[in-house]
Amino acid sequence: MTKNYTLDELPKIASEVIKNAKNNVLLFYGSMGVGKTTLIKEIVKQLGVADNVSSPTFSLVNEYHTKNNEKVFHFDFYRINDEEEALDMGVEEYFYSNSWCLVEWPNKVENLLPLNAVTITITANENQLRTIELSNNE
Amino acid sequence: MIKNKSTYILGIESSCDDTSASVICNGKILSNVVANQEIHAKYGGVVPELASRAHQQNIVPVIQQAIQQANIDKKDLNAIAFTRGPGLMGSLLVGTSFAKSLSLALNIPLIAVNHMQGHVLAHFIEDENQQKPPFPFLCLTISGGHTQIVKISDYFTMEVLGETLDDAVGEAYDKSAKILGLPYPGGPLVDKYARLGNPKAYKFTKPKVDGLNFSFSGLKTAILYFLQKQVKENPVFIEENLNDICASIQHTIVEILFDKIKLAVKETGIKHVAIAGGVSANSEIRKVLKETESKYGWTTYIPKFEFTTDNAAMIAIVGYLKFINNKYDTNKTSATARLKVNES
Repeated sequence: MTKNYTLDELPKIASEVIKNAKNNVLLFYGSMGVGKTTLIKEIVKQLGVADNVSSPTFSLVNEYHTKNNEKVFHFDFYRINDEEEALDMGVEEYFYSNSWCLVEWPNKVENLLPLNAVTITITANENQLRTIELSNNE
Repeated sequence: MIKNKSTYILGIESSCDDTSASVICNGKILSNVVANQEIHAKYGGVVPELASRAHQQNIVPVIQQAIQQANIDKKDLNAIAFTRGPGLMGSLLVGTSFAKSLSLALNIPLIAVNHMQGHVLAHFIEDENQQKPPFPFLCLTISGGHTQIVKISDYFTMEVLGETLDDAVGEAYDKSAKILGLPYPGGPLVDKYARLGNPKAYKFTKPKVDGLNFSFSGLKTAILYFLQKQVKENPVFIEENLNDICASIQHTIVEILFDKIKLAVKETGIKHVAIAGGVSANSEIRKVLKETESKYGWTTYIPKFEFTTDNAAMIAIVGYLKFINNKYDTNKTSATARLKVNES
């Protein structure tokens, strides 16, 4: 799936991501300020989470609960320097927990990512337009 | 109601990167040890930056040192207070398990503490040079992971009036610094260069957020676009104007913070305003807060720097306040990654 979108179209894009993803682990690639957290906020909302979704850069992982009491994990590996640090926080337990895992800066932990995780790349174009590319890695 | 003449509380904090232990006596700090290079130099071993394994290595020496520095025996302790959440699950578990074991071994009460309440109640650490805020007061808790305005009606009654909808203020600083090519975490560097620059040199639009909530992620994107445009015309734009850029960013961030805190004062009529959290070390925030005293007649409260970043003294003081109010927990209490400031 490849699509262009504006900020107004976020809800539609988020629902298409949920519909098209064939795995619960979603990896978000894209440079700083491109809107990874913004898209994730919308996805998390559509998964049925009522909590405020904020950036987990400092905390590394935020945990949200849906109305059905399912867990959604939101990661940000931006400030990680070494994959071992991610191992130490128990990242594998989260990734293989069957809960939704939305991952920012996955390139920092490349060797720890599940092989069948869904890859999502966001790029910024002219005029504030964004392009999203989703690929399932079955 | 104080049960002993001297009440000794051990506080343990392990919610994120740093392992810390503190002993306080009747609200006064006897020791406050944060695991850092110094500890490692003393006890040998490596320094992994993050995570539970580091906490496991640190927790015994850190607690030993806190008890030694306090010049007491662990048998003198009256209760063990520990951070129950919010934080990183693996890290919290280390502190929680250790606190439970020690309370069981010493047969003294266990007291679970909410990390966010710790930041706020650090203002009640006994210190002759620090004035304590009267109830009710407002507290702006600002750190790398949090940005919230809290109304405190008494020690144990708190309400979040507003919080960030995306990035925390410390993160806004660090990520702006990153865009400027400064090393992470670059917040303190932005503050340093900002002091030499013109805060009105460049204008960044402030986000429009209803009520008392904050948003900082738009600012990050605005800075990014602004710099991309400037660098296209002048490749050394950042280097030539670093001080002015930092001053303008800092000015915008501080304005965003104070627009909301002013609104909170207006809405609540409470003019006692405290700050807490690591970012309260920022020079401009301190200056602007201080200015509100003469400008608007506020009374402001700024904690000592060592109590602003994550530390166990703030956990120990909450432990003490709970202890004298008979608020204990049992061994059934568990660590939790999610915890709002009004929960305990």
